[in-house]
Amino acid sequence: MSRIRIFQKRKYWFVFGCLSVLFLILSGRLYYLMIVSSEELSQKALAVEQRERAIKAARGIIYDRNGVVLADNQPVCTISVIYNQVREPEKVIRLLTKTLEMSEEDIRKKVEKVSSREKIKSNVPKETADAIREASLEGIKVDEDYKRYYPFGQLASKVLGFTGADNQGIVGLEARYDSLLRGEDGTILTLTDFRGIEIEGAAEERIEPIQGNSLYLSLDYNMQCFVQQVAEKVRKEKQAKSVSVILLNPQNGEIYSMVHVPEYDLNHPFVLTEDYEQGEGNENEKRNRMWRNPIISDSYEPGSTFKIVTAVAALEEGKVSVSDHFSCPGFKIVEDRRIRCHKTQGHGAETFREGVMNSCNPVFMEIGARVGAKSMLEYYRKLGLYEKTGVDLPGEAGSIMHPLENIGAVELATMSFGQSIQITPLQLLRAVSAAVNGGFAITPHLAVKSRDSVTGEETRYFYDKKEGCVSKATSETMRSLLEAVVSEGTGKNAAVSGWKVGGKTATSEKLPRRSGKYISSFLGFAPADHPTVMGLILIDEPVGVYYGGTVAAPVMAEIFQNILPYLDNL
Amino acid sequence: MNIPVGKTKKQKNSPSRTMWQPTERPEGETVQRRRPHAMDYSIVFIVIFLVGFGLVMVYSTSSYKGGLYMNDAAYWLKRQAIFAVLGIVGMLFISKTDYHRWRAWKWSLHAYYFGTIVLLLFTIAFATATHGSKRWLGIGPFRFQPSEVAKVTVILILAGFITQNIRQIQHWKGVLKTFFFISPVIAVVGLENLSTSIILLGISAIMIFVSTKEWKIFGAIAGIGLAGIGGLILYQPYRIERFQIWFHPESSDKGLQTMQGLYAIGSGGLFGKGLGQSMQKMGFLPETHNDMIFSIVCEELGLFGALCILALYFTLLWRFMVVALNAEDLYGSMIVIGAIAHIGIQVFINIGVVTNTIPNTGIPLPFISYGGSSLCILLLEMGLVLSVSRYIRIKNQGSMSGRT
Repeated sequence: MSRIRIFQKRKYWFVFGCLSVLFLILSGRLYYLMIVSSEELSQKALAVEQRERAIKAARGIIYDRNGVVLADNQPVCTISVIYNQVREPEKVIRLLTKTLEMSEEDIRKKVEKVSSREKIKSNVPKETADAIREASLEGIKVDEDYKRYYPFGQLASKVLGFTGADNQGIVGLEARYDSLLRGEDGTILTLTDFRGIEIEGAAEERIEPIQGNSLYLSLDYNMQCFVQQVAEKVRKEKQAKSVSVILLNPQNGEIYSMVHVPEYDLNHPFVLTEDYEQGEGNENEKRNRMWRNPIISDSYEPGSTFKIVTAVAALEEGKVSVSDHFSCPGFKIVEDRRIRCHKTQGHGAETFREGVMNSCNPVFMEIGARVGAKSMLEYYRKLGLYEKTGVDLPGEAGSIMHPLENIGAVELATMSFGQSIQITPLQLLRAVSAAVNGGFAITPHLAVKSRDSVTGEETRYFYDKKEGCVSKATSETMRSLLEAVVSEGTGKNAAVSGWKVGGKTATSEKLPRRSGKYISSFLGFAPADHPTVMGLILIDEPVGVYYGGTVAAPVMAEIFQNILPYLDNL
Repeated sequence: MNIPVGKTKKQKNSPSRTMWQPTERPEGETVQRRRPHAMDYSIVFIVIFLVGFGLVMVYSTSSYKGGLYMNDAAYWLKRQAIFAVLGIVGMLFISKTDYHRWRAWKWSLHAYYFGTIVLLLFTIAFATATHGSKRWLGIGPFRFQPSEVAKVTVILILAGFITQNIRQIQHWKGVLKTFFFISPVIAVVGLENLSTSIILLGISAIMIFVSTKEWKIFGAIAGIGLAGIGGLILYQPYRIERFQIWFHPESSDKGLQTMQGLYAIGSGGLFGKGLGQSMQKMGFLPETHNDMIFSIVCEELGLFGALCILALYFTLLWRFMVVALNAEDLYGSMIVIGAIAHIGIQVFINIGVVTNTIPNTGIPLPFISYGGSSLCILLLEMGLVLSVSRYIRIKNQGSMSGRT
C-alpha cells in the first residue's frame, strides 16, 4: 500500500489554496454584483419584469375669454379582456355583445384570441362600463380614462377642432396646441411573467397621469354664439352655400368669434352632417371638407373690400387726395378692354371721397394706374398680403398674386378693385386693420394664455405687431372715408344707430365668371374713429339678390347692434 | 505506523510495459488488519443539507413553469427527489463498503476504462438529442447522462492507475503517459459534451499534479492546454461568440440569458427578496432550475444566502482536504482529491458563469441544480469519499503527518 508523501501534501495544499482563491474571486464578484451594482441591475430587472399599462391623461381644458369651458373631458372607459383569466367565455361574449352593441362575431374573435390583453372597445360611456363591471365576470378589465367633450357641440367647430381615439388633436386649436393640451399619460406598473401576464397578488405601482395645461382663448362664447345664430339665419334666408363671419379686435388681433356655417358636431366629428353629405367625393373627402376652416384655408377674390388697400396705396403715395375729382361714365377703357363699373350708367362727376362711398370702379382703376404696379405690390407687401397672417390655427393658406412682370394695365386695373388676386379673409382683415388702426399690422390670434395644470402658473402669449405699415394720417383718412361709406354710401345698411360704423361692401363674382355665383361680403368696424372691433362677413353663393351692400351689410349691422353694447361692458 | 511502505516490485520494469497492467494487490494482507471507524459526519450533513436545499430551490425555481407547462408545480421537484433519495441510499451503501473493493478485482481498472468508453460511444450512437447534443440515454421515463458516470470512473481509474505507477509518475515521462492513458476517455466525452470533458481534464490534471514531484511539466501542459482551447475557439466560430457575449452581454441577443441572470443576482441585494419571491424565474430566465439556479438563489436569498452556500461548499472541500491528507493510503487519498477537484471546479465554473466571471458554458451546480443522473452520481462519489473517511488515521494515534 503506497503512502502519501510530503511533497504530495504540499501539492494538496497548493490545489486547495488555488480553489480558495477562486472561491474568493467568486465572493468578490458576488459582492460587486449584489451590493455595488445592485441598484442598477434591480432597475433593469424591474424594467423587464414590469409591464406598463397607460392611464390616459385628461387633456387641458379650453376656455373662452370669460372662462366658459369650450372643450372639456368626460370620463369614459376602455374594455378589454385577458385571455387566460377568462373562466366563462360564453358568458363574457354574451355580456359584451349586449352592452357594447358590437357584433358577436367581433367580440368572439377578440375574446378567444390568445393574447395577454385584448382591447375590445375604448371610449365606452361610464354607465355602460359600470354595468359590465357589476356583472363581475372574470377576465374583463375596465380601465377608466378620458374622452374629449365639447359642451356646446357645434360651437366654433372650425376653430376648436377635435381629438382622435388616443386623445390627440387632429384639426383646429386641438391640433395646434396639442403639445400644450396633451397631458402626460400615467402608468400602472404591474409585475408580469415572461408572457406579460400579470402575477396575481403582486403589488401595483401607479404613476398618476398629469392633466394637460389649460388654454384661454380670446374667443367670446356669447359673441360666437350670437354670430353663429345670425350666420345660420342669413344662410337659410339666402339659401347660401356657406356664411363666414370673423370678429376681431383690430388693435391687438384678438379674434372674438370665427364662424363658418354650416358647422359640425365636435362630439361626433366623424358623422357627416346633412349639409356636408351632399357634393362630390368619398366619405373621407367630405369629412375633410366638413372639418376645413375656409376663413384661413381658402383664398378668394375679395372684390370691392380690397379697394381699401388700393386707396391706402394711393393716399400714401400722394397720388390722390380726398377731394380729387373724377368722372365715371360707367366704364373705363384700359388698353383694348372696356371694364365696367357696377353702375352701368356711371356715377358721373365725383370726388375721391364719393368714389369710395360709391365703390366706383373707374375711380379705383384710375388711382391704381397712378400708383403703378410696382408700388402697388410694395403696399401689398407692407400690408402683409404676401405672408400668412400668423394666426394660431393649422392649415393657413397664402395669397395668390400676379408676379410683377405679368402685371399689365389690365391686370393692374382689375387688381385695383379686388379682382384677379386671391387672399384669405383673414389676410384682408389684417390688412384693413392696419389701414384703420393707425398703421400697424396685427397678428390675428385665438390663444391668449395658458395655465399650468400643476402649478397653476399662467403664461401669456405675445404676438407680433408690425409698426409703420400705414402712416397715421392715411389711417385717419381711411377711417373717415370708410365711415362715410356706411353713413352715406353703399354700406348704408350697416349703420347702427348711436354708433359710428365704418366699412366697405363687396360683391365678388366667383370664378368662372358669368356663372351667376357670387360672394357677397361686408367688412365693417366700429367705433369708426377708434375701431375696437372689426368684422367681415362672407355669404357664399346667395340666391336672389347678391349685392354685398344689400345682403351682407345688414347682417353686420345686426351683429354690431348687439355686440357693440356688449363689448362696452366687457 | 501500522501501514507498511508500499513495495510494488512489479513496477521496476520499463514503464511502457508495466504502467498498464492489472492490479496485483501486493498489500493484500494489510486489509485484514484495518479497522474502519465512523465516517466523517460533517461531510454527510453538509451533503444532505445541500441536497435538501437543492430540492427547495428546484421547487422554488421550477414551480411556476411546472404549473404552466406540466400542470404540476412539483413536477421537477418530484423527479429530483426520486434521484436524491436513490443517491443518498447509494451514498450510504457505498460509504459502508471498503473503497478498496472497487479495485479488488484484477480487471477492475480495465472494466471501468473500456466500460466508460463503450457506454459513451453507445450513447452517441443511440442517444436522445436535447439542445442539439446527444448526451442522454433514455431508461423508461427517466433519462440519464453517461458523461456524468465518466466523472466517477475517471476518478477511480486515475486513483488506481496512479497508485500503481506512483514511481514512474515522479518522472515527467510518467506524467505524460498518465495523461495519454486517460485522454481517450476525455476525448470521447468531448465529442458531445465539451464542458464535461473540460471538467474531466481538470480532475485528471489535478490528480496527476498532486501525485508527482514534477512542476515544470504542468506549466508546459497548461500552455498546450491553453493553446488547444485557443485552437478550438478559432476553429468553431460559435465559441468566439461566447467570448463576445462574455465581454459585452448587454449588446448581444444571445447575452440576454446572461444579462437576465445578472438582473436576478443584482436584484437580490444583501438579503434577497425572500425564498420563493424571485421574479426572474417567472420565465424570464431560462434554465432557472438547472445551470442558472444559483442566480435565483442570489435573487431570493441575497448576498448573505449566496455566501452561505459558497461557505458550505468551502467547508465541504475543507473536510475533503482533511480526509485526503489523512487518508490511509494513496489510493483513498487520490479518490478524495478527485472529488475535491470535481466539486471545486464545477462550483467555480457554475457560479463563474452565472456571475459572468467566465464565459458561458453549461455546468450544473453540484447537489443543487436539477439533474437526476448528475445528482445521483455525485452522491455515489460522496459515498466513496465517506468510505475513505472511515479509514483515515486519527490524530491522537500519532500518524497524522505520515512521517516515519
